[in-house]
Amino acid sequence: MGQNVPVPSLLLIEDDDAIRTALELSLTRQGHRVATAASGEDGLKLLREQRPDLIVLDVMLPGIDGFEVCRRIRRTDQLPIILLTARNDDIDVVVGLESGADDYVVKPVQGRVLDARIRAVLRRGEREANDAATFGSLVIDRAAMTVTKNGDDLQLTPTELRLLLELSRRPGQALSRQQLLRLVWEHDYLGDSRLVDACVQRLRAKVEDVPSSPTLIRTVRGVGYRLDTPQ
Amino acid sequence: MSDRPRGFGGWSAARRAVSSGLRFTSLRLRLVVVFGLVALTAAVSASGIAYWLNREAVLTRAQDAALDDFEREMQSHAGTLPVHPTEGQLAYAARQMGDDGERFSVLLIAEGKNGETVQGSSGKSALDDFTLRDVPESLRKAVTKKQELSSGNKNEYHLYWQRVIDGDTPYLVGGAKVIGGGPTGYMLKSLEPEAKDLNSLAWSLGIATGLALIGSALLAQAAATTVLKPVQRLGVAARRLGEGKLDTRLRVSGTDELADLSRTFNRAAESLEKQVADMSARDEASRRFVADMSHELRTPLTAITAVTEVLEEELDAETGSVDPMIEPAVRLVVSETRRLNDLVENLMEVTRFDAGTARLVLDDVDIADQITACIDARAWLDAVDLDAERGIMARVDPRRLDVILANLIGNALKHGGSPVTVSVREDADDLLIEVQDNGPGIPEDVLPHVFDRFYKASASRPRSEGSGLGLSIALENAHIHGGEITAANSPKGGAVFALRLPRHTSPLATEDQPKATEGSGG
Repeated sequence: MGQNVPVPSLLLIEDDDAIRTALELSLTRQGHRVATAASGEDGLKLLREQRPDLIVLDVMLPGIDGFEVCRRIRRTDQLPIILLTARNDDIDVVVGLESGADDYVVKPVQGRVLDARIRAVLRRGEREANDAATFGSLVIDRAAMTVTKNGDDLQLTPTELRLLLELSRRPGQALSRQQLLRLVWEHDYLGDSRLVDACVQRLRAKVEDVPSSPTLIRTVRGVGYRLDTPQ
Repeated sequence: MSDRPRGFGGWSAARRAVSSGLRFTSLRLRLVVVFGLVALTAAVSASGIAYWLNREAVLTRAQDAALDDFEREMQSHAGTLPVHPTEGQLAYAARQMGDDGERFSVLLIAEGKNGETVQGSSGKSALDDFTLRDVPESLRKAVTKKQELSSGNKNEYHLYWQRVIDGDTPYLVGGAKVIGGGPTGYMLKSLEPEAKDLNSLAWSLGIATGLALIGSALLAQAAATTVLKPVQRLGVAARRLGEGKLDTRLRVSGTDELADLSRTFNRAAESLEKQVADMSARDEASRRFVADMSHELRTPLTAITAVTEVLEEELDAETGSVDPMIEPAVRLVVSETRRLNDLVENLMEVTRFDAGTARLVLDDVDIADQITACIDARAWLDAVDLDAERGIMARVDPRRLDVILANLIGNALKHGGSPVTVSVREDADDLLIEVQDNGPGIPEDVLPHVFDRFYKASASRPRSEGSGLGLSIALENAHIHGGEITAANSPKGGAVFALRLPRHTSPLATEDQPKATEGSGG
C-alpha cells in the first residue's frame, strides 16, 4: 500500500451502541474513515448517499437482518461486505456467505484482525497485470479488471474477481481450498474452507452456462478447484 | 478394566432370566399339581361311592331273587319228598329245583331209612358236583341249628346265605331246612355275570377319573396361562422401563389383582417419566442459561475488546502518553479482558457441544503440516519436537484438530515443561497422535479427572492460566470426529496424551460439501 492510496471509507452497520462506538474508535485509529448506522434500513440509506468502499455488517439486526441487507446490496452493488457474526461454525456463516458476503469475523473481534480482513478484501480489487485471458466465451481482462461473457460485462465482487483471476493464472491446475484462502482471502492458517465453496458457487452462478453442471470452474475431488478451457 | 462391570452385569442378567424362567415353570407346575389332586380326590371319592352303592344294589337284587327262588323251590319240591328219601329222589328233586342247574346248583341232604345221610345234587357231572364240602362250616351249622320259638320268631329253621369266593369267581351259597323234618337244602349260585357288570362299571369309573385328571391338567394350564400371561407382560414392561423407555404402559383390563398391579405399574412409570422429564427440563434450562449468559457476555466483551486494543496500542506507542501510575492498571485490564474472552469463547464452545449443535467442516489435511502450523502460530517451535512424516493425509475438521493440538501441546508445556514430543503414526484406518511431556507425570488420583470441566488438581496448585475447559473441549472435539483422547503416564516419566482419530471421518457429519460427482469428468 502506497501512501497515496486514498483512505478507505467504511460503513459500519451495528445495532449495539457500545460495539458500534468501540469499533468506530478502533477502526478510525487504524486509519479508516468510518460512517455508522444502527439499523439495516439506515445502513441501506447511507450506502446510497455515501458510496463507501466496504461494508462491515452485523448479522443480528433489528428490523431487516444482516442477511437481508446483504442480499439487497448484492442486487445492485458488488462492493465488499464483511459480516460480524456471533458464532463461527453454525448456519449463520453459511447463510451469510450464500447471501453474498465476502468474508466474516467472529465476535468478540479484535480491531487488528478486522483491519487485516478489511485491507485484504480491499486489495482484491487492485490491478496487478496487464493482459487478458479467454476461457470459451469468458474473457478476463486483467488490465481493465473486467470480465465479459459473450461480450456482456459481468458484475463480480472483488472477491469473486480475485478468485477468478487466481484460478485463471494457473489454468488447468487444481488449487486447494487452503491455497485459495491464502491467495484470495489472505488467511494465513486455518481459514474457513466454506468461504471458498460459497464464493465458487456464486462465481459459477455468474460465469457458467449451467451452474449446476460447471464446465469452467471444476471441482477436483479431494483437492480443490481448477479453471478449465471448455473443449 | 472397563469390561469387567459390563461382563458381570451381563452374567447376572442372564442368571436372572434363567431363574425367572424356572419360577414361571414352577408356578405352572404347582397349579397343575394342585388341580390334579383336587380332580383326583373328587373323582376317586365319587366313583368309589358310586361303585360300592351299585355293587350292593346289584348283588342284593341278584341274591334276593336267587334266595326267593330257592325258598319257593324248597317248599314246592323238597317239602313234598318222603321223610326218608332215596338218593335218586333227592337228586331228581334237586335237578327240578335248580332247573337242571340253569339258575343255581342245589344239594339236598336228608336222613335215610337206616339213619344214614343221603345226598342228592343237581350237578350233571362229578366235576361240577356241588358237595357239602363247598358249603362253609359256619353256614351248615346255622342252617341245621334249631331256633327257639318265640313271638318274634315263628320258625324253627331259617334260611341262611353267605358269599364265598372260589378262585376269582364270587358265589352265593344259601341253605335252608324244610320245617317239620324235611331235607336240608343248599344252593350255590355263581355271581359271575354281576361281577362282570361291576367290573365294567369299575373300568368306566376309572376311565372317567382319568379323563377328569386330563381335563384338570388342561384347566390348570389354561388357568396358569391366564395368570402368567399378564405376569409375563408385566415383566416385559418392567424390563423396557429399566432400559429407559419411560413411555412404557400396560393395557389394563378387568378389575382383578393383576389389573390392580398393572395400574400400579402404570402409575409408577408415569411418575418416573414425569420426574425424568422434570430433571432433564431443569438440566436443559441450566444449559440454556449458560449458553444465553455466555452469549450475552459477548456483546459487552466485543466492545471492551475493541477498546482495550486501543489502550494497548497507546501503551506500546513510544510517545509516553500514558501516566506511569495508570500503566499497570491498563495492562491488567488488557490481559484480563483477553482471559475473559477465552473463557467466554470456551464456554460457548462447551454449550454448543452440550446442545449438539457443533458441526464438522471437513477438509483433507496433511497432518504434519497442520501440526507444524499449529506450533508455529503459537511460537512453540523451539519447545516442541515433532516426529512426523509429511504426507500423512486425513480428512478432518482442521480448526477442531487445531483446537485439540493447541490444548494438548499447551497443556504439556504448562504442566510438563519442554521439550514436548509430538509423534504421529498411522494405525490401520486411524491416526494416532501422541503428545508426551517431560514433567513429573499426572498423579494417579488426578488421572481419571483430567478431562473434567474446571477440574483443579488440588487447591494448593497455583491458579492456572487456562479456562479449565481446554482438555474437556479437546476431548469433545475428538469425539465429534469419532475419535478419542486418553491420558496416561509414560514408564519413562512424563504424561502422554494419545489422540486417536479416524482418518476418514464420516461425511454424514458434514454439510455444504461440494458434490462429489462433478469432479470425476476432468
